[in-house]
Amino acid sequence: MITDVMFHSLRSRSQLIPVEDLIRDCAGSRMPEIIPELLTAPIAAAAAEVCPTRAITTDTPVEGGCALRLDYGKCIGCGRCVEVGDGAIRPAKRFSHSGVSRSELVQTWQTGSGVEAQAGEMHTSARDRVYALLGRALNIRQLDPGSCNGCEAEITALTNPYYDLERFGIHFVASPKHADMLLITGPVTRNMATAVQKTYEAVPLPKLVVAVGACGCSGGIFDRRNCPVGTLVNLNEEIIGPVDSLLPVHGYIPGCPPTPAMLVSGILEVLNRYTGRK
Amino acid sequence: MKGNAANQWGPESGRNEALPLDADRRFTGRLVSIFGDNTGGTTILHYLVDLPGAGYGDFEYVVAGPVRSMTPVAPAASWHEREVHEQYGVEFIGHPHLRPLMRHSRFDSGLPSNGSTQEMEESQFLRVQGEGVCEIPVGPVHAGIIEPGHFRFSVVGDTVLHLQLRLFYTHKGTEKLFEGRVATDAVPIAESVSGDNCFAHAVAYCQAVEGVHQAIVPPKANAIRLIGLELERLLAHIGDLGALCGDVGFAVPAAYCARIKEDLLQASAKIVGTRYWRGVAVPGGVRHEIGSADGRELKESIRIAVEDFVGIAEQALRTPSLEDRFEGAGILAPNRAADLAVVGPVARACGIALDVRRDHPYGAYKNLNFDVPTWHYGDVMARARIRMMEVHASARLLLDYLEALPAGPIWLPLPAISTGRAFAAVEAPRGELVYWLRVEEGKIARCHVRSPSFQNWPALPFAVTGNIIADFPLINKSFNLSYSGCDR
Ligand code: SF4
Ligand code: SF4
Repeated sequence: MITDVMFHSLRSRSQLIPVEDLIRDCAGSRMPEIIPELLTAPIAAAAAEVCPTRAITTDTPVEGGCALRLDYGKCIGCGRCVEVGDGAIRPAKRFSHSGVSRSELVQTWQTGSGVEAQAGEMHTSARDRVYALLGRALNIRQLDPGSCNGCEAEITALTNPYYDLERFGIHFVASPKHADMLLITGPVTRNMATAVQKTYEAVPLPKLVVAVGACGCSGGIFDRRNCPVGTLVNLNEEIIGPVDSLLPVHGYIPGCPPTPAMLVSGILEVLNRYTGRK
Repeated sequence: MKGNAANQWGPESGRNEALPLDADRRFTGRLVSIFGDNTGGTTILHYLVDLPGAGYGDFEYVVAGPVRSMTPVAPAASWHEREVHEQYGVEFIGHPHLRPLMRHSRFDSGLPSNGSTQEMEESQFLRVQGEGVCEIPVGPVHAGIIEPGHFRFSVVGDTVLHLQLRLFYTHKGTEKLFEGRVATDAVPIAESVSGDNCFAHAVAYCQAVEGVHQAIVPPKANAIRLIGLELERLLAHIGDLGALCGDVGFAVPAAYCARIKEDLLQASAKIVGTRYWRGVAVPGGVRHEIGSADGRELKESIRIAVEDFVGIAEQALRTPSLEDRFEGAGILAPNRAADLAVVGPVARACGIALDVRRDHPYGAYKNLNFDVPTWHYGDVMARARIRMMEVHASARLLLDYLEALPAGPIWLPLPAISTGRAFAAVEAPRGELVYWLRVEEGKIARCHVRSPSFQNWPALPFAVTGNIIADFPLINKSFNLSYSGCDR
């Protein structure tokens, strides 16, 4: 019987998605994308109004338009802005904000002018080159300090035959002592704060920390600072905040949850920046 | 289950006379949930009960001083009462150990204040003593890509004598987070209670809001919801069976199931825009049309996926080395399951025929005739078998529904009713999921979420006791409970 299973598997075709197709792919995450030429002040205002996590905000109107600020770190991909966006906001096909710094997750557009007012700056500091020590293999310890398990489901998918993270020499390990990178999902809860600190301390130097998901990047739906204006919000004592309220973070992977392709792109981008590995 | 004294609980309120205790003061319903609510300074306890033949009942009890604990009559009440005690400061007389459930990192609710935090923390665990007994603490950070929780094993050699759980590490105050939000707008919070069952949570929440508004959901929307719910069940069960095989080192079926699950996720992404159906349900209907071409495409993907899955899983479950690990491991006795009022596949695997879709039909399930498959023994194999049967049943439903989707609108505006309360139950992949909602002037005043995991976690230690500790991951996986759904 066991041999039947083996034969079955030998006969089936390979599912592996080539890395070129994974990088910057974000299908299935519903991350929004702004078409600057079509963006008008009413659209921007409507989008800011419906956004459940204040990912979209607008600046006070200047003459002839206003600035739309989109923070991908807060976006949960609910698609509401696309509904009111009238073509100016649509689900992105390509996504280049995975594995970047926190400031690079925020983008601003000026309505009417058709130009992107300011994109986050890209940089890698030379000091961080120490991470080149990590060399070819990377061991990841995944840590959940309070996620809803949506992010875990997608991280688990990284080991399936479509994404197969091991082909890049990247492994998930059981102990933080074996890890080079902590992949941290979810908002940090008060109950997990000590465990997060201890896990971080157990990882040998040099170590990388990657925050995953809207919750990991900004606290997402759970952080009261992201609650829509005008709703009465209780102080949420159970949450400490996003991952960077506790630990230094090297890269952010937004999405709710990020798709496996976004996770692969993000992890490789962080590696590229901090180890020089392409 | 039998109480030894008359008036075991809540004798002060006249309304409680209607509670389902028989002449021997035995509890005759199935306890769904106990939770508190606060209106105008008064704390009210709600006892949500499933009465055989009579549907759900919501019994209220106004708190004035200490309340008799229900735990001695119905052990399933234990965690609920601990939760209410912690949230509302209600004293339950007769509860065997009324200690904090959620906020265990801060011992601030009526515990002795002398001694160090460490000591207080340790005092929460039952000590098993005797020759050769040793204690193994595991977690909260586990070895795999899973959620956090702490397990305290007392073992002799390899055999587990006692297991104590400490969960609620992912407690995020989610019920509080709902409060103050516009009721029709808070679906994203419900979707983030337990991410892998987000659509079931979204639908249950929407149904509660629709209950408040007494809204009518168009048939097409109900059909799309059914498709989402059944697809979610397929995903969960296929994933679980793969993971079970993986846990006994049978890598080929594990990889197969992961592949099949991924196929279905990609099919979902193509049709509704997200892999896990997030943002699809809204109060009043759904936000994504499934046209007939999409329906056919999805149907084809499901047909292929299920065919592949059944082929591989049937082979795997007949493999002697796997049978050897699955059979007889982690037996949950039916009387324990009944006492703890477990739900979902865990209950059905020990012969308890319980399914919200049949017992309290909602949405499109109202028009269906439903068989609830059950299995016996209550071991890991039974829980695997039950999932196999449910995959078959869900696939049949899906293929039927995708064949002929009703026509019509997918969303209708809600009648304007701003104040009211309602609750809704949905059969999520893990079992009965309940949302209870009180809305004041359009905003949520109280939202209680009773996830199936909350109900099933207390049963896990009983299934583990007596097994070897090496089988724990397998037994835990066969329950596959959500930490976040339980902790909220
Ligand atoms: S959360 Fe994201 S998708 Fe939803 S409205 Fe805000 S920006 Fe748009
Ligand atoms: S980002 Fe979304 S999927 Fe990930 S933990 Fe937060 S709510 Fe869950």
